[in-house]
Amino acid sequence: MSNLMDAARAAAELARKHGADQSAIVVSRSRGVDIEWRDGRIERVKERTRRSLSASLYVDGRYSASSTNDLRPTALDAFIAEAVANTRLLEPDPHRGLPDPERYAGRAAIDLDLVDPDKDAVDGEQRRALAEQLEALARSGDDALPIVSVASSVGDNHGQSARVHSNGFEGEVEGTSSGYSVSITVKDADGRRPMGWSYSYRRHRADLDAPALVAAEAREKARAQLGAGRVETGRYRVVVENRAMPKLIGSFLAPISGPALQQRRSLWEGKLGERIASEKLSIWDEPHRTRGMASALWDGDGFATRRRPLIEKGVLATYLIDQYYARKMGVEPTGGRTHGLDWDYGERDLAALIGDIEEGVLIDRFLGGNSNQTTGEFSFGCAGRMIRDGQLAEPVAEMNLAGNLATLFGRLVELGDDPDRNRSSRCPSAVFDGLQLGGA
Amino acid sequence: MNDGTFTGPQAARHGEAVTHSGEDGLAWFGRFGVDEAMLRAAFDKALSRGADWAELYFEHRVAHHLGLEDGAVNRAYTSVSLGVGVRVVRGDQTGYAYTEELTQKAVADAAGIAAVVADGPSRDAPSAFTAQPLPDRYPVRQPWTDVGVAAKMPILTRINEGVFSRDPRVVKVQVGFADSDGAVLIVDSTGRMSFDRQPMARMTVSCTAEHEGRRESNFHNLAGREGFEFFTDDRIEHLADEVVSRTAFLFDAAPAPAGTFPVVLGAGSSGILLHEAIGHGMEADFNRKGISVYSDKLNEMIAPKEVTIVDDGTKPHTRGAINVDDEGVEAQRTVLVEEGRLRTYMHDRISAKHYGVEPTGNGRRQSFRHPPVPRMRNTYMLPGPHEPEEIIASVKKGVYAQTFTNGQVMIGAGDFTFYIKTGYLIEDGKLTRPIKDTNIIGNGPQVLADTDMVGNDFAFDEGGWTCGKDGQSVPVSLGMPSVRVKAITVGGVNQG
Repeated sequence: MSNLMDAARAAAELARKHGADQSAIVVSRSRGVDIEWRDGRIERVKERTRRSLSASLYVDGRYSASSTNDLRPTALDAFIAEAVANTRLLEPDPHRGLPDPERYAGRAAIDLDLVDPDKDAVDGEQRRALAEQLEALARSGDDALPIVSVASSVGDNHGQSARVHSNGFEGEVEGTSSGYSVSITVKDADGRRPMGWSYSYRRHRADLDAPALVAAEAREKARAQLGAGRVETGRYRVVVENRAMPKLIGSFLAPISGPALQQRRSLWEGKLGERIASEKLSIWDEPHRTRGMASALWDGDGFATRRRPLIEKGVLATYLIDQYYARKMGVEPTGGRTHGLDWDYGERDLAALIGDIEEGVLIDRFLGGNSNQTTGEFSFGCAGRMIRDGQLAEPVAEMNLAGNLATLFGRLVELGDDPDRNRSSRCPSAVFDGLQLGGA
Repeated sequence: MNDGTFTGPQAARHGEAVTHSGEDGLAWFGRFGVDEAMLRAAFDKALSRGADWAELYFEHRVAHHLGLEDGAVNRAYTSVSLGVGVRVVRGDQTGYAYTEELTQKAVADAAGIAAVVADGPSRDAPSAFTAQPLPDRYPVRQPWTDVGVAAKMPILTRINEGVFSRDPRVVKVQVGFADSDGAVLIVDSTGRMSFDRQPMARMTVSCTAEHEGRRESNFHNLAGREGFEFFTDDRIEHLADEVVSRTAFLFDAAPAPAGTFPVVLGAGSSGILLHEAIGHGMEADFNRKGISVYSDKLNEMIAPKEVTIVDDGTKPHTRGAINVDDEGVEAQRTVLVEEGRLRTYMHDRISAKHYGVEPTGNGRRQSFRHPPVPRMRNTYMLPGPHEPEEIIASVKKGVYAQTFTNGQVMIGAGDFTFYIKTGYLIEDGKLTRPIKDTNIIGNGPQVLADTDMVGNDFAFDEGGWTCGKDGQSVPVSLGMPSVRVKAITVGGVNQG
């Protein structure tokens, strides 16, 4: 891996030579293979080999960022020379500049275990066999499904990168990821062809869910869409399944970012330390989870990461402000992004959450929609199942969930005990009271 | 090698200047080490296991972004992307590999990897490479390669000042000026070469305003396959007008009510309805696999007779315009729905072969890192007989949708959504209360069948849209006359 670091150091030196006062260079490469399988045979095999160099340049109080994958020495020299020259033409920005090197200190001395030791142990034939097995599992089950088509995919990726800042930061990262998915398209009586899907995605192949589990979930999701009807427009107790939750939590947290706050596009401006959600909601930024999909020891500014609360019992505990926007806002930087979430999970599983509900709706997927982070208004398409007498009942589709982010998580009643292990956000399922659904 | 020709049946048919030929392309990519020996070595490997089809997609793209924030043009972003993708097709199976290193060995190795899908006796590489003449649907006077940062900066500053001067309630303005110049050379296993230069530009302005303790933000953008000359004084003033009026509008607006109502879609960006409700479901790959809601619907009536929908790569300078698709098929105007009847799907080479038809020039890809798949270009509905006022007047209680931000569809189930940024309630045939931030969800075939009035006020949307599918983004355009849909589910909030 050291040749990436050497390349990054060399690029930083090139930037200096061409007149940059400071630079931050990232050199990365990755290699991956995907097999896509459908109805008995391979549909596509894709092999990916990527490389890239990006350079953030600080020249005479001015700033630019450039990236290229043309790494031939003469091309790279000309690229950086031109980037420096173009940076000089911009208007100055007094808030730009690399962080004080003191902020690089405190890097956690832990092994995040992001590289699968067996990363090279899988070959094309094994991927093909797994894809075939996933289809077979998807087509087998106790209940007959009107299957039109079954697709599966199997993929692996291995990436490495090196970051060098001209004022002393150096860091190298290596990580692998593996995953597979299966989707089942079924034909409904009215001609619609809904698709149920599921997947598993991890840093290490050994941690992947069993193929039978993934295939069974895809079957269940396909079966549960047959004969979908409409919900009556109204307010409902709503359970949002863990796999659908990132839409809600992502929209809720987006306005805590520095750019949103500084550009006055945040409904959370002035809300630090205030209650913005039910006290059932506590969320941490957890960058140090072992084998976490987004885990990292430093962030894009080179700051050492640490676990920190975002929401504590419903109270907004921090904004996410990077080096640049912190200088612009005249505040201390807090780090511009999260690297994985941790939650104060509940004690009951999805079935138990549903079991209490006399009449309500389970949302297991969102479709489109958007939110206004300045005002908090949101409106999302969604689908799922009716809940009647504590049981999942008929499927419902073609509905919208609407409201305001300012009050959405105030309606949170309970969180499940079921983190979604496929994603760094690790969302649990959640129960909300009195959400507006638009339907028939 | 054969001479590239500057005339030809295609050029004559379109009556447009031919500016690029495949030979230009080989010369152009020569600076990166591409030559006929590289092509031959790659095809030797690609066809070594008896593929039906193989192609090399060379790409070089330079993109710039210049940004204004808090009054200063003080950030610039540049990206350079260079590489070649090798696709090998056998039946409907695809092998794909790419390399960012344009050496004979690296390209041949990628071809060897892509060839794994085939399994038969080797075929000969093409003996000669011949340039395909193409029309030029996006000639530019000032190409982006010739326009420096210094020339662009005053435009951003002027827009910023224009937005602030139009409304004292404006507190923040951001301007983003994105341009790119791409060169692609597609060489296929018949020896045909297609070369295209692809300019693109987009100016996006967003602002936040404050009024009586409330804040609102909105944005607008102008986009097209254009050169620097596109940003005329009139367009700059128009952009400033639009972003201010679209933001100010929101102070008087509230989310729509929830429920199912008649919806009138205004002319222009309502074309997002076609893109989501109908377009994706008519991409032939989904139908070939039987997983589209429009599978088995070919030649059936799927809409009222007033409805004719085309997907058109030939409209000059539109964002979805292409001279040639990304597998070397010349772009065309494809009638998808003719007077209510489904006439054809959108095809790439694989699906066209499956259906026994000619490809429609819809094989597109995000970059050399992706294999082509059937994609939309510029999708629009032809105008109908009704005055827009007549359409609005026909609705007792409903929603008028004016501007949009995004949409999505589930291809098989047919459920689609799009997000209304601004619009109005319709009460007793008149536009009344302004509405905002409301999602709409419907089922494609049902909504198409329910599109019962089509206006005579056709417009293309002037903003830029990007379509995502299969993990790939491509630029597209939309157009639409005013239409009425009898019933769609509106995702608003009911008070009380």
